[in-house]
Amino acid sequence: MNYFVKGNPDLCIGCRTCMIGCVVAHEGVKIFQMKPGEYVFNPKLDIIKTATITMPVQCKHCENPACMNVCAVGAIQMSDNAVMISPDKCIGCKTCMIACPYGAIDMVVSSDGKKQLDGSERVVANKCDLCTGIEGGPACIRVCPTAALKLVTEEAVETSVSNKRTAAAISLAQVKEY
Amino acid sequence: MGKQVLTTCPYCGSGCQLYLNVENGKIVSSTPANGRTNEGNLCLKGHYGWDYLNDPQILTKRLTKPQIRKNGVLEEVEWDEAINYTAKRLNEIKEKYGPDSIMGTGCARGSGNEANFVMQKFMRAAVGTNNIDHCARVCHAPSVAGLQYSLGSGAMSISIPEIEDTKLLFVIGYNPAESHPIMARRIVKAKQKGAKIIVADPRITETARISDMHLQLKGGSNLALVQAMGNVIIAEGMVDQKFVDDHTLGYEEYKKTVEKYTPEYVESICHLPAETIRQAAREYAKAERAAILWGMGVCQFGQAVDVVKGLASLALLTGNFGGPSMGVGPVRGQNNVQGGCDMGALPNCYSGYQNVTDDAAREKFEKAWGVKLPKENGIPLTQVPHHVLDVKDEKKRLHAYYIFGEDPGQSDPDLHDMREALDKLDFVIMQDIYMNKTGLKADVILPATAWGEHDGVYSSADRGFQRIRKAVEPKGDLKTDWEIICLVSTAMGYPMSYKNTKEIWDEMRSLTPSFYGATYEKMEELGCVQWPCRDESMEDKGTPYLHKGGIFAHPNGKANFFATEWRAPGEIEDVEYPFTLSTVREVGHYSVRTMTGNCRTLTNLEDEPGWIQMSLEDCKKLNLKQSELIRVNSRRGSVITRVMPTERVKTGATYMTYQWWIGACNELTVPYLDPVSNTPESKYCAINLEKIDDQVWAEKQVKDSYESIRKNMGINTAEKGCRI
Repeated sequence: MNYFVKGNPDLCIGCRTCMIGCVVAHEGVKIFQMKPGEYVFNPKLDIIKTATITMPVQCKHCENPACMNVCAVGAIQMSDNAVMISPDKCIGCKTCMIACPYGAIDMVVSSDGKKQLDGSERVVANKCDLCTGIEGGPACIRVCPTAALKLVTEEAVETSVSNKRTAAAISLAQVKEY
Repeated sequence: MGKQVLTTCPYCGSGCQLYLNVENGKIVSSTPANGRTNEGNLCLKGHYGWDYLNDPQILTKRLTKPQIRKNGVLEEVEWDEAINYTAKRLNEIKEKYGPDSIMGTGCARGSGNEANFVMQKFMRAAVGTNNIDHCARVCHAPSVAGLQYSLGSGAMSISIPEIEDTKLLFVIGYNPAESHPIMARRIVKAKQKGAKIIVADPRITETARISDMHLQLKGGSNLALVQAMGNVIIAEGMVDQKFVDDHTLGYEEYKKTVEKYTPEYVESICHLPAETIRQAAREYAKAERAAILWGMGVCQFGQAVDVVKGLASLALLTGNFGGPSMGVGPVRGQNNVQGGCDMGALPNCYSGYQNVTDDAAREKFEKAWGVKLPKENGIPLTQVPHHVLDVKDEKKRLHAYYIFGEDPGQSDPDLHDMREALDKLDFVIMQDIYMNKTGLKADVILPATAWGEHDGVYSSADRGFQRIRKAVEPKGDLKTDWEIICLVSTAMGYPMSYKNTKEIWDEMRSLTPSFYGATYEKMEELGCVQWPCRDESMEDKGTPYLHKGGIFAHPNGKANFFATEWRAPGEIEDVEYPFTLSTVREVGHYSVRTMTGNCRTLTNLEDEPGWIQMSLEDCKKLNLKQSELIRVNSRRGSVITRVMPTERVKTGATYMTYQWWIGACNELTVPYLDPVSNTPESKYCAINLEKIDDQVWAEKQVKDSYESIRKNMGINTAEKGCRI
C-alpha cells in the first residue's frame, strides 16, 4: 500500500509552517545562503480554509493514480510506497494536474535549475513525494507545532482497522437478537 | 565546526526556546528546544525567522555604520562623532526648553530587558524626564492599566502551560493561531482534554472554528457583552458570594451598573441573541475553573480599559482566581513587550511597576542613581504627535525624540500626523538594526546589534524571565543598545557604564523587590523564572500563577469590581464610508516586518501588498474576485491591497493585516484613543472600497511602490538575484 500524509482539522491552526518546512526539506538549508531570487519556493501541500475547516491538502498517493494513468510520457511512477513524479521526464503537459481529483498537483518552475533548449525555464508538475530520500521523513509532520499531520502507513491502517473490528465485535456481541 | 546556541525566540510573547545552529559564523538553521512554554515545538517564525541576521536585503538594508544628517542627507560617520553630536544636541534642547521637551522610547523587540532598564534610567536620570514609553501603548497598555486597577498587577495571572488544563476557556478578541501559534497549540490541547471553549470574535478565527460556542458579535460591542454576562451571572444566582465577600471590593456598585445590561438590552448592540449570551454566561460561571484570554480585539478600542476591568470582574464574580489554570490572560504580543513594561519603559513607573509619583520609590531610585528624579508622569507614546503639532507654547512642546527599536513612522496610528510630527521635531534619534520609515526622518542613526548578536533577558507573556544569548558576531560597526545609551549618557554629563548585561540586571534587581530573586544563575539553572520572585535562594523558583489563595496585589489584598456605560466606537460607518475596517495579524510576519520582511521563506509565503478579508456577499456585490487589487479609502488615507473573499467574516466588515508597507492599514485607521490608556482604536474605523478596473496598471503600481520602498531603504534593486 502507498503511504500518505493526512491532516487533522481538529488540530490544524492554519499557520502554514508545514508549507515552508516542505520547501526547506526539498531545496535544502542552502537557500538561506542564496539570493532571494535564485531559488524556487514550491510547497507540495496547501492549507485550505473554509468556514468550518482548516487543514492541509496534499497528494493521497492513490493506489490507482489518475495522474499516473494519464501521463503520456511515463513521468509518474510508483516506488517506495509513493507515487513519484520524475521532473526530468515531465514535459509540463498539465494533464495530470487536471486529472487529479484532489487538486494536489500544480505546475512550477523546476527546482533543479535545468532550462529548455532556448534557455527559458522548465515548468514541471509538482506534488508531495513523502520526502522520499530525505532524512527524518515527511518534513511537514516534523515541523508542525500542533502535531496536526500524520503519516498513514500500511501498518497504521491495519492496526486501526483491526482495533475497529475488535471494538465492533465487542459492541455487536451485546446484541443478542433483532 | 558548528555550534548550537540556546536562546529565546525573538518574535511573539510565547517565549519559545530554540537552538540556533551556527556554522562558520553564520546561522544555518534552528532547532526547537524543550522550553517551558513550547515543549519542543516552534511555529514558522521560530523555525525560519532568524534569516534576517544574514541580511538578504529583501525589504530593508541592515544598518552597519552610524549616520548623521548633514545638509539634509544622511552621511556615515564614526561613533565618536555620532555620540558627541547626539549628546550635544540633546543638551542644547534640554537647556533651552527643559528636560520635558525630550521624549524617548523603550523597545519591546530584540534589545532585551537590560537595554530597556538602561534607557529608562537614561531618560529619568540623565535627561531628567519621565517622558518614556514604548509600543505597549499601542497594544496591551489597557490590560496593564485595567488589571492594575482591578487586581493590582497588570500581567497574565495564568501561565501558558496551565491553559491546557483549564475546564473552560473564554477567548475574546484574540486570535492565537495568527498571533501566538504556540498558545494556539495549548488551546487545541485544552479542547482535546475536554475543556469547553467559548469565543467572542466578529470573525471565525481558528479558535472560533473549534469552539463549543462562537459569539460572533458586532465589532466594538465588547463591554456590552461582558457586562451582560455579569448581569446573567448575578440574575441567575451563580455568583461565588464567599469569594466576592472575602476578596473583593465594589460588588454592590458593580451590580447596580450591570443591572440594566440584560441580554435583551445588549442584543441590538452586540448583534447576538439574548439566549446565546445567557448560555455563554452560564457555561462560564458553572465551570470548575475557567480562564479568560484576550488580545488586541479587546485592547485596540477607544473603550478598552473598561473591558479589561469588566473581564476581570467576570473572573472575580465566579471566584476564578487563586489557583492554577484559571484567571486572566492578556496575551502580550511581542517577545519582550512584557519586559519593556517590567523594566519601567513607561511614563508612570520604574522597574517592577514602582510608581514615579510614589515618594518612597522615587527616593530609593534617587539615592541609587545620585540625582533628583522628576515627580510627574511623562507623556504616553500616542500623545507624541499632539505634543509636537498642537502645543503652541515652545517651552511646553516636544523638541527631541530618541526612538530606540521602534518605528513610529510605520507602526503608530494615524501615520499622517506621526510623520508630520517627525518632520517638525528639532531632533530625531533613531537607534535600530534595519533602516525603516522613521530612519528617513531621523537626524542621527545609531546602528545596534540584533537578537542573536547580543546577550540579555526577555520576559515572556506569562511573566517568565528567560535568557537570550549571542550566537554570531555582528557584521558592521555596531554596538549593543545599552552600550550606545551609556555612551550618549556619559557624553551628556551623566556617566553610565556596565561591563555586561548581568551587571545591569543585578542593578535592576537590587532596586526591584518583586524581581530580586530572578538571578542570571537561577535562569541558567531553571531555564525560566516567572515573577514575582523575591528571594535569591533556589527555594524561590518564581510564581507560575498570581493571586494565590485570592490574595491580590493591592496593599489591602482585595480586588476591585468595575462596570460603566458602554460607548460606541469613535467612527461609525455611514453612506460615504459604508464598511468597517479592523486591523489584524499575518501569522508569518511580525510588526513592521523589518525582521520577517527580510526572511527569505517568510516573504515567499506572504508579501506586499497584503490582503483585505471580505465576505463573499460583499465581493459579489462589488464584483470583486480573489487576489484582485482594490483601493481602500478612509477619511485619513488611501491604499491598494488584494481582495481575499472569505466565509469567515460578516457582511459589511473588513479586515486588513497590518504588516504591510504598500497596503499600510495604519494610513486608514483613526487616532481615537482610550481616555485612560491612550491606546488607539485600530480595530474599528469606517472605509469605502473602490474597484480598480485597470488591474495591469494596479499591479505595476504595487511593483513600482515596492521597488521604490526598497531603494529608499538602501537596497540596490538592480543587483542580480534581487527579488521582483
